[in-house]
Amino acid sequence: MAHTRKNQSSLSRAERRRFVDAVLKLKRRGEYDEFVRMHIDYYVSDGEDRLRVAHMTPSFFPWHRRFLIEFERALQRIDSGVTVPYWDWTKDRSPAASLWGEDLMGGNGRRSDRRVTTGPFAYRNGHWVIKEGVTDGEFLTRDLGRPHDPLDLPTRRDVAWAMADPRYDVPPWDSRAPRGFRNKLEGWTSASGKERWRNHNRVHRWVGGHMLGGGSVNDPVFWLNHAFVDLLWDRWRRRHPRSAPYLPARPPGPGSSQYRRVVARHEPMPPWDVRPDDLLEHKRLYTYGS
Amino acid sequence: MAPLLNRVGPVPSRAHTAPCQEPPAPRLIDRVTRRHLLGVAASALLAAGSVFRLAQAPREASPPVALDDPPSGEPLPGAPLPGEPSFDEMYRGRRIQGESVASRDPHAPGGWSVTVDGRPLGLMRRADGGYLSTVDHFQSYATPLAAARAAVDELGPSQALSGRGH
Repeated sequence: MAHTRKNQSSLSRAERRRFVDAVLKLKRRGEYDEFVRMHIDYYVSDGEDRLRVAHMTPSFFPWHRRFLIEFERALQRIDSGVTVPYWDWTKDRSPAASLWGEDLMGGNGRRSDRRVTTGPFAYRNGHWVIKEGVTDGEFLTRDLGRPHDPLDLPTRRDVAWAMADPRYDVPPWDSRAPRGFRNKLEGWTSASGKERWRNHNRVHRWVGGHMLGGGSVNDPVFWLNHAFVDLLWDRWRRRHPRSAPYLPARPPGPGSSQYRRVVARHEPMPPWDVRPDDLLEHKRLYTYGS
Repeated sequence: MAPLLNRVGPVPSRAHTAPCQEPPAPRLIDRVTRRHLLGVAASALLAAGSVFRLAQAPREASPPVALDDPPSGEPLPGAPLPGEPSFDEMYRGRRIQGESVASRDPHAPGGWSVTVDGRPLGLMRRADGGYLSTVDHFQSYATPLAAARAAVDELGPSQALSGRGH
């Protein structure tokens, strides 16, 4: 039966506790760090001449959809009633939001070393030791809103700008794609200053600390951001029912700079041997509630 | 459905990069102190490095480009030219070193070997010609040096690299 992913702001106290407990247990079993490693291993940038499936690429949405499903299944093996909540960052925009409370994500990092010191993922509680990071600190770090040079979370207008684009993705199918919902929502631009980050990318920048780098999955808020990104992909499809739901339909040919570097709609997407086309519908597995 | 998490590729063990297994708090304090001392000792070198950098007349950052500009397929202005110089400097108390290794190792990440205090900093090439580091996946820089300095800015005074790449 399909389960429902809820807005984190509407979780009951018991739901918050069950989600956090399942995440902590996954960490204790060593499975959580498998997800961290996998995300690091699959971060291939678009200047590299090899297949990239997770970022700067059309399969950004289906790859992370499957990644979330795997994570949610792992949580449900611990507690079958748990789902991944989503964080609507167009509404919950402040470090004072309940998302960052003691019983969910915990708070900001402290100023001196950005160490998170409150909530379930605070180092001192002993349940959240970083093992797979690009920095050597064992504690989770955050820098919410980057106070020394502040920037805001993406706005409703930023989302609307991406949502209005009727094309799923366009050549060159990478971080330079000048149009298309995928790159606009993933958030790569050629702008400078604070305009350089849009939507998904900007959320990573706003949270800062571990969320900024290769070990972003170390911060559990990673999943809440990506659940919302996944929900927005649903919204885009409903808004553009006549648009091709995934592009490219066919693999770029040998004459293309993207030959063998992106996954077309019916090609397998590592590591799961699943095609983007297989992930266009998910209602048998889960739906989004309010 | 396929099994969970088919791991790909070797995952380097942090055991190879962690010099010792001390209790967390003393370890951090020890590290901060060492960093601080290193920073003090290096400040004179840093000043000298600044003069050196000025003499090199660094390129300006690339100008802003409109969001909907068509992709040119060419590197942005400001992207490193072939022969971007190697560097070895103190920056905010950290020693950053980098050299192009593309000619002898075409598979080196980003074509460069870059270290911060002797530990490797993973660099990746973006299609626009810029460089991303493992510390900051969401902003690219025109040169490996700029990416290395930005990584140091992000690390702050108390964190070091683990040596883990991509």
